[in-house]
Amino acid sequence: MKVKLKRSLIILGMILLLSISLVYAQQNKFKLKPEAKGKLCLSCHEDFKEKLKNQFIHTPVKSGECSECHNPHTAGHGKLLDEDANKICSKCHEGIVPKDPKSTHKVVMEGNCVKCHDPHASNNKFVLLKEGNALCVECHKNIGNAVTKAKFKHNPVEKGCMNCHAPHASAKAKHLLKDDMVALCLSCHKPDRPAFEKQHMNYPVAKSDCSSCHNAHGSDKAGILFENVHQPVANKACTQCHESPSSSTPFNTKRAGYELCRGCHSSMLNDTFNKNRIHWPLVDKTGCLNCHEPHASKEKKLLLGNSKVLCGKCHSDTMELQGKLALKESQEKAATKGRVIKGSLTHNPIQEGSCEACHSPHASDSQLLLKQPSTIKLCETCHDWSKHTSHPMGEKVVDSRNKNVTMQCLSCHRSHGTGYRYMIPFPMVTDLCVQCHKQYKK
Amino acid sequence: MQKWFRKSECWKVGILEHWAQCSNITLFHYSSLIVFVITILSFPLQSFSAETVKFRHVQSIYFDEKGGSLKQPEGIASNDKSTLIVGDTGNDRLIQYTFQGNIWKPGAEMKVTQLTNPIRVQMNSKGEVYALDGKKRRIIQLSPEGAFKNYIDADGMPAASTFVPKSFKLDPNNNIYILDIFGARVLLLNSEGKYQKQIPFPQGYGFFSDLSVDSKGSILLIDSIKAMVFSASKDSNSFSPLTKNLREHLYFPTTITADNRGIIYIIDENGGGVVILGRDGSFMGRQLTMGWNEGLLYYPSQMSINEKGEIFIADRGNSRIQIFTIVK
Repeated sequence: MKVKLKRSLIILGMILLLSISLVYAQQNKFKLKPEAKGKLCLSCHEDFKEKLKNQFIHTPVKSGECSECHNPHTAGHGKLLDEDANKICSKCHEGIVPKDPKSTHKVVMEGNCVKCHDPHASNNKFVLLKEGNALCVECHKNIGNAVTKAKFKHNPVEKGCMNCHAPHASAKAKHLLKDDMVALCLSCHKPDRPAFEKQHMNYPVAKSDCSSCHNAHGSDKAGILFENVHQPVANKACTQCHESPSSSTPFNTKRAGYELCRGCHSSMLNDTFNKNRIHWPLVDKTGCLNCHEPHASKEKKLLLGNSKVLCGKCHSDTMELQGKLALKESQEKAATKGRVIKGSLTHNPIQEGSCEACHSPHASDSQLLLKQPSTIKLCETCHDWSKHTSHPMGEKVVDSRNKNVTMQCLSCHRSHGTGYRYMIPFPMVTDLCVQCHKQYKK
Repeated sequence: MQKWFRKSECWKVGILEHWAQCSNITLFHYSSLIVFVITILSFPLQSFSAETVKFRHVQSIYFDEKGGSLKQPEGIASNDKSTLIVGDTGNDRLIQYTFQGNIWKPGAEMKVTQLTNPIRVQMNSKGEVYALDGKKRRIIQLSPEGAFKNYIDADGMPAASTFVPKSFKLDPNNNIYILDIFGARVLLLNSEGKYQKQIPFPQGYGFFSDLSVDSKGSILLIDSIKAMVFSASKDSNSFSPLTKNLREHLYFPTTITADNRGIIYIIDENGGGVVILGRDGSFMGRQLTMGWNEGLLYYPSQMSINEKGEIFIADRGNSRIQIFTIVK
């Protein structure tokens, strides 16, 4: 029995010894002398001495553990890094992104930590490259400009983006918000205060989406409302559309769908209903709100977004195709090294997000809700086609492929693109021509 | 698939040949074996071909009886009495065609003041014509001769103020199914146009453009945005997804039809094609493509299929009707 115990203790001791030596070997894999740590590197990298005078120093740098990140001899990655630059930080900084996040910061997900942090030292907390909002607006320039120019500022934004946003990821909300938007707003704004109630016309907005009216980054409109405000909201005439605030369902609208909007926008809707073809979502359950904000919007005409986003919500097939074609175009352009390739793959109005250049968003007498019955006239508004083709076109020129259609721009081109140059449906121009001019077909 | 089977046959026959040489088998045995192997190999080929649906172009219709051109037709309906009704949308009229001497011949024009923009057309068992006016968003009923009879306003339906019909279909018993996009529901009316019941749209839908009723009475909805088919069996009061997102097979689906075997046909408007699904929603293939020549489609609209399996497509962008038969 005693012999067995002895053996067990010896084995246990050996395992312990082995573990310690392994851990030590791992910690000091280059077998550096204790006095050599860091100092050895600084003997060559003298400029680092200056860097180390910064207030905030990355822990491994501070403790002279340069080999935590760098291999002093050889490495498969730039700057003698021990790992891929996009992965090396996560070796120590695990858990930066919570499990099942609602939103993530793109640079974090790409492992591009050095976009915000200095890996060695800086005079800013968390070894950030710049202090406060200055760092964020480096990339988020539009927001930065808007915040600076805004006549009515939102205090927390002035004090720092991190008041509302999490820098890496958010487990709770979209847009990297630290919490659900309403909860976040209510942490400062108390809805039971008389001034708050008065501003909101006594409507119980405590659970409403604040961003349907307010621009959290500041605005030129009082109450930091979005730039474009629906007139009844501006007039504080909520009851024009909603039931009374004392009603049991105060947010219910007085009428459903487009019928509600018809009260004020009757002439627009009458014009719409007098057209032969309607954009059907306008008359569905959601009606005008399929495309428009009811309260306020940063877009003109109270649109939910620019056309690219808005139209793309339903017509994703068209937008996806354009996206692919734009990518193909840029790749082909890069491959040609400056040589000009004739003929576009994409159509500018779609790329610019102005679908309304060709289509009427509400209704039209023309098919596909085109703005004009004649596609020749429609294309002519941007393209002087007479300069690029002498091909007979017009109402009197019958398409030889189909006796019921006449020759027009779309007889050869497809305005949403095809994947081929000049947006024709064939890889070669001759393939297109011989569709009609069969005598030249080989 | 067929090529693959042919390749397999060659490969297997090659092995048999080698085996026959080695084991001195008589020519009779060898032939019998080949026949046996081919029979075995052709078994799955036959079962596949039974599931394959291919379209063969038969005829294109361009004109009315006076030689006037069709203009952007969107509606079409056929029956088994050799009648075809075309919603000649761009000309604000309906035209009747009849099958005579192996071709479809134009007949009388149906033009009534109550109908300006026929975008969907149906016929009941008595030959009466129903059309949805896309401009007025009302369904009208016409006699077989084309005289105005009635508006189908779903008498007795709840929440009548929120009623916008986007499409409708008739079943063999002349019941009327209306896709009401404002009310977000499918309304079921009897043959007199009286309200029977309503089924709400499912949660989280995108936009329903069309509906159909199959031979078992199941209602099918096509969601253009989600590129999905939803279905409700005959006695059900709710819709559930029949398919997953079909975007890999189509661009923008707008109309749906089912034949008497339950095969589902979906018109891909932006892709100029027809996607075919089995009764269970399984993908069976895609037919036709975009273009101007006969047999090709350019922003097509409604489709109709009769008992004989003839397919009629309102080829809107090409201002014509195209007729196909199904090749098995």
